[in-house]
Amino acid sequence: MTRSIAVAGVALSTLMIAAAYASAFLGAPGPASWAPWMFVLGVPGAIVSVMVLGAARGRRGALGSLIAPMLLVGLALATGFGLALALPANESESTRLVLGLPLRAAIILYGIGLMPIVVLPVAYALTFETQTLNAADIERVRRLGAERGAGLPEATRHVAAHRGEAR
Amino acid sequence: MIGTGGIAALLQGTLPPLTQPLIVAVALAYFAVVVGISVWASRRTRTASDFFVAGHGIGLVALTVASVSTSVSGFAFIGGPGLIYSVGLGAMYLILPASVTNVLGAWVLAKRMRLLGEARGLITVPDAIGARYRSPLAQGLSGIAILVGIVGYMATNALAMGVVINAIFGVGIGWGIWIGMGITLAYSVAGGILAGIYVDVFQGTLMAAASVLVFFYVLSIGGGLDGISRTILAADPAFLGPWGKWTPMAALSLFFVFAIGSLGQPQGVHKYYMLKDPMQLKWYPLLKTLGLILVLLLYFGVGVGVKSLVVSGRLAPLAVPDDATPTFLLRFTPVILAALVFSGVAAATMSAVNSFMNIGAAVITHDIPVALGRPSRNELRWGRVSTGVIAISASLLAQFSGSMVAFLGIFGWGLFGSTLVPALAIGLNWEGATRAGAIASIASGLAMTLLFETLAFFKVYAFPTGVTVSGAALVVSLLVFFGVSWVTRHTAAAGIDPDVRVVMEV
Repeated sequence: MTRSIAVAGVALSTLMIAAAYASAFLGAPGPASWAPWMFVLGVPGAIVSVMVLGAARGRRGALGSLIAPMLLVGLALATGFGLALALPANESESTRLVLGLPLRAAIILYGIGLMPIVVLPVAYALTFETQTLNAADIERVRRLGAERGAGLPEATRHVAAHRGEAR
Repeated sequence: MIGTGGIAALLQGTLPPLTQPLIVAVALAYFAVVVGISVWASRRTRTASDFFVAGHGIGLVALTVASVSTSVSGFAFIGGPGLIYSVGLGAMYLILPASVTNVLGAWVLAKRMRLLGEARGLITVPDAIGARYRSPLAQGLSGIAILVGIVGYMATNALAMGVVINAIFGVGIGWGIWIGMGITLAYSVAGGILAGIYVDVFQGTLMAAASVLVFFYVLSIGGGLDGISRTILAADPAFLGPWGKWTPMAALSLFFVFAIGSLGQPQGVHKYYMLKDPMQLKWYPLLKTLGLILVLLLYFGVGVGVKSLVVSGRLAPLAVPDDATPTFLLRFTPVILAALVFSGVAAATMSAVNSFMNIGAAVITHDIPVALGRPSRNELRWGRVSTGVIAISASLLAQFSGSMVAFLGIFGWGLFGSTLVPALAIGLNWEGATRAGAIASIASGLAMTLLFETLAFFKVYAFPTGVTVSGAALVVSLLVFFGVSWVTRHTAAAGIDPDVRVVMEV
């Protein structure tokens, strides 16, 4: 179920981006005014959907506690891009700086370029054994590989042996 | 991550002469270390698995540093800062996706590919596609797509090597190509990917250290980030806008292509096979992302720093944007630091060449024969021969094809993204994907990229403003993949082997 939703999310996000591109062919000159907003929603949608698809585990596609950091980052990406697009372009010499940058640039560089780094890789590491991989998974895969290898024709095994494969 | 565009910086042959004794000495020392590593690696390379995937035996730290090194290539130090100087913060959209791509790759591909390597001893990216769909045709077609992309990458990197080596040693670009390619070929043939990995570790470590040092020099000279921003805002506020001088759609389109497209870059994805212990994947995304941030500090720092120096009149406007890093280093940092960076750029292009050489050789000796039903019985020997053939072909192409070489280098990232992301990244995680969907998406990505990049190069037809071929091809191949898989969905369940199904489920 989770995977189906994620695949639908990737497809929908891709369609949004396709619509933005298509508007550039239909309108003149350049893309429609709404086209960047399709990217604002479509890019985070595609990234989070692909992430969910990859992290889903087992036949039911459980996500466990990963759903929160993934949604948080998706929301941050969409909000960051959206704010950069919606806020007035009033950068000037007297602009107030946020950590050394004008507000809209700071939102992009710190909010989109740095914030996910603090959240996602840490969430990945903290949930690694329960959500991603554990010793039992590896053993299960090795056993299946060994069973399959034993059933291979002689010629195939010769090639595998020549490549230096243990199994 | 960002190998394609930046090579254009080096292709123009614009690096200022760097022939100073200390720079030459450091470069020679650098190459001596590379030779030493290759001799060591050659003694440990005995099988095709050693040659192509380092015998599945690389440790976490080595793999992480090597992966960072391969990801950034020479672009991070030359082309990237020049691009920022030229278009402002819009150029950051090439590297901003790094905040999500490493963990994205870890969730989507790392575990499944490493486990496929465990179960089946796979050694190439097309191997994984072939195993997933039980299809030699899909494997062969993805191999051909990789080979087409590699031709461009190899030739452009060979030319870039020539430009950098000429700038350091003053030997001429032609000799620079052959000297650089000769050294790279020697260590690639002798030590395979093992030599490449440890050269990358050496080079990546120095690049990270040099990048951090250069960044602090920039901040110190520019009066901190506040001072740099104030100086730029007074003269050119659009430079520090969120999209730089690009349109929002162009910048966001880049983010899309570089984020999702990262899942199809064989030079990065291939490395998942090499990790010794799959459980070490736990810290891989965090370490790689932190490493990338360090290496990319120079990209951002020099780009905005040089802009600030130019608008404040402390530096004359650059003749070409790609002079940003060489000019800053030669004018504002100690020569030893400049020497380290320039040697690092030379080594980075060699590292990129090594990586692509290895992947290309694997396609020729392994994937295409498998697709034709005639697997080679001595992949190690033929891998070494293919490596040599690819290297010589790329050098000839770089030296004699004129402007065509720049064209070949342009579309590598997009080609890999549009041909491999749907079939590999989505397909390894979705049981509903079908063999027909995979083949159709690879073929459509390949055809669309080649057709429209060629038409644009010859000025016959170009997409409207805001639409890139790489972005459009990725979108089309994804939609073709979903559409054809849906139409042929009755074949999906029967198309997956039991061990592959388990790998897809865990």
